[in-house]
Amino acid sequence: MAAPFSKLTKGLKIAFLTAYLVTVVFPMIWVLYTSAKNTQEIYRSPFGLPKFITSPSRRHIKSLITNYRKAWVDSHFGRYFFNSIYVVGVSLALILLLGCMAAYVLARFEFWGRNAIYLLFLCGLLIPMQLVLIPLFFQFTDMGNWLTNLFAPPVRALGLGELTISLQNSHAGLILIYVSASLPFTVFVLTAFFRTLPGELREAAMLDGASEYRTFFSIMMPLGKPGIVTTAIFNFLGLWNEYLFALVFLTSDRLKTLPLGIASLSMQAQYRSDFGLLFAGLVISMLPVLLVYIVLQEKLTKGITIGALKG
Amino acid sequence: MAKVVLRDLTKRFKEVIAVNNINLEIKEAEFLVLVGPSGCGKTTALRMIAGLEEASSGEIYIGDRVVNDVSPKDRDIAMVFQNYALYPHMTVYDNMSFGLRLKRLPANRPWPLNTRRAFTRHEIDQRVQSAAQLLGLGGLLNRKPKELSGGQRQRVALGRAIVREPKVFLMDEPLSNLDAKLRVQTRAELIKLHRRLGITTVYVTHDQVEAMTMGDRIAVMSSGLVQQVDTPLNLYNHPANIFVAGFIGSPAMNFVNVSIDQDNGKYIACADGFQVTLPASQYDHLPNYAGKQCIFGIRPEDIYDSNLEGLIKQGDGNSVKVDVDVVEPLGNDVEMYLKAGNVPLIAMIDSKTRARTGDTLDVLLDMDKSHLFDKDTEVAIY
Repeated sequence: MAAPFSKLTKGLKIAFLTAYLVTVVFPMIWVLYTSAKNTQEIYRSPFGLPKFITSPSRRHIKSLITNYRKAWVDSHFGRYFFNSIYVVGVSLALILLLGCMAAYVLARFEFWGRNAIYLLFLCGLLIPMQLVLIPLFFQFTDMGNWLTNLFAPPVRALGLGELTISLQNSHAGLILIYVSASLPFTVFVLTAFFRTLPGELREAAMLDGASEYRTFFSIMMPLGKPGIVTTAIFNFLGLWNEYLFALVFLTSDRLKTLPLGIASLSMQAQYRSDFGLLFAGLVISMLPVLLVYIVLQEKLTKGITIGALKG
Repeated sequence: MAKVVLRDLTKRFKEVIAVNNINLEIKEAEFLVLVGPSGCGKTTALRMIAGLEEASSGEIYIGDRVVNDVSPKDRDIAMVFQNYALYPHMTVYDNMSFGLRLKRLPANRPWPLNTRRAFTRHEIDQRVQSAAQLLGLGGLLNRKPKELSGGQRQRVALGRAIVREPKVFLMDEPLSNLDAKLRVQTRAELIKLHRRLGITTVYVTHDQVEAMTMGDRIAVMSSGLVQQVDTPLNLYNHPANIFVAGFIGSPAMNFVNVSIDQDNGKYIACADGFQVTLPASQYDHLPNYAGKQCIFGIRPEDIYDSNLEGLIKQGDGNSVKVDVDVVEPLGNDVEMYLKAGNVPLIAMIDSKTRARTGDTLDVLLDMDKSHLFDKDTEVAIY
């Protein structure tokens, strides 16, 4: 009796997982192949395969290329793409460097106020970022003025021209927000991770004559790799898709990141309804995320389980 | 090579005194074992010598230099950790050469002025290769620690210490993570290595067998104090107090609460169902204790079955009538749990004995090897 029953549950399991897989993967594939269709095709059969697959001809391949060219060049997705790479890349580098250092110190050093600092980081996790959006906007105005007043006179004195520093409508400002918003989570995960590394390693390195910096960069960072990769991926996903702060703090078109680009495309689409173009834009913004998942998926699951078991 | 001297060394962790005013002189090229139960302060003492803990008070000399304020890397020491603390992401070669690669000349200039490496790549290679050869690690230099067995990891940890050619080796229970057989084997190898290199070694262990077999001298520690420092045999034969007597030797020495009576010029130790005459050779020590309570000690291996031909003859009040509680044959010897009246005794008796559980037996004590301790101070009377 047990065998057919377990076969049944196994079958159900597979059926359920297949259904789940289809619901998750199909939209992605749909976006992928729809990006090769033009708007008329999309209206005619929203879920049908593009002509470029069903009846490959030069004309239909051209419609695929047109979509992507329009997206990349005419709708500035190329620029948005590199803006995103720049903002997210610099933010990630800073987040990981600062986060690792802070986490390592919080995990391994004993000093007065350590717990207070750790709790402060945890508090950061509790604050919804949307809540600080408006105050931050005004604060950035003040900070920009303050920095300008501080640095403009010496720059002028050196004869280097007029300096104005603005944190609004600048990548630096957005990076600053991204870094500070991501640090609590990063520090929280990495502190737990660094605590699992044996403390004797630091002592052994100390006896070997390594300075604290050398110990950190030569020993602790390489050993922290699984944790660092995990936080890197989570932060990458979050920042790559971040819309709200980019929308508020970036106003000029040349600074915009991909989520803003897609948003403006979809807004244009309301009037022009160039859906092929919209889908091409979506694919462009999706690809890096997919790539990161495919390349690092093993490390990601490993990192998550490490956090789960030892964190 | 250098001697190590600890003078009035104390370590306090808030209210807890881990190491209490210890004085210890470790001679040049000596192998000194710090032994004691866990929490006795032995590891803390070692870590203070290494510079991993700061001394609360007192001085540490390595050679003729006070090193209290010298950083660990400049103390000319190398340490082997209990869990080896190998760098998991580096190969054996890199693990062993890490310290040499970092060393800069002159050592006392701060970064970034200390740019000259102390060792050329060639010198480093030579040192690592010769250490690897000495330890039989030749074929493993390109492996990562996780690809090694416990014994091999242990040897890499040793190798990392050896390549630095330190003046002092510090070892913190380096064998405790090995299985029993490997431990015995490595023990012998460590002794050979010490003989060959002649480097002053401070070795921490809680295993008294390790201490007895390895140490030139042993310092027995308990609750932050050094109880006795002496050669292994002297510790065994002449323990300074009850703690040392009970700690050294396995199974542990039997202790019996006795009162000392004087009778016809003889001193007799009495307890309920237990009565022996103390050896005449020790009478000089005894007059003050007549009529007082003391603790009598006898090692299990100094108790004999009177039915067997033995070294010990029935003599002047050295025979005790006992009930046999439990018999545990160990092959060569039999471990017996005995009861003399209400006094429990453990004896290691030759396996030829016919005594079985429930029997009544006359045992003979080798009184020349008996011990007597003051009941209040727990210090040995003889």
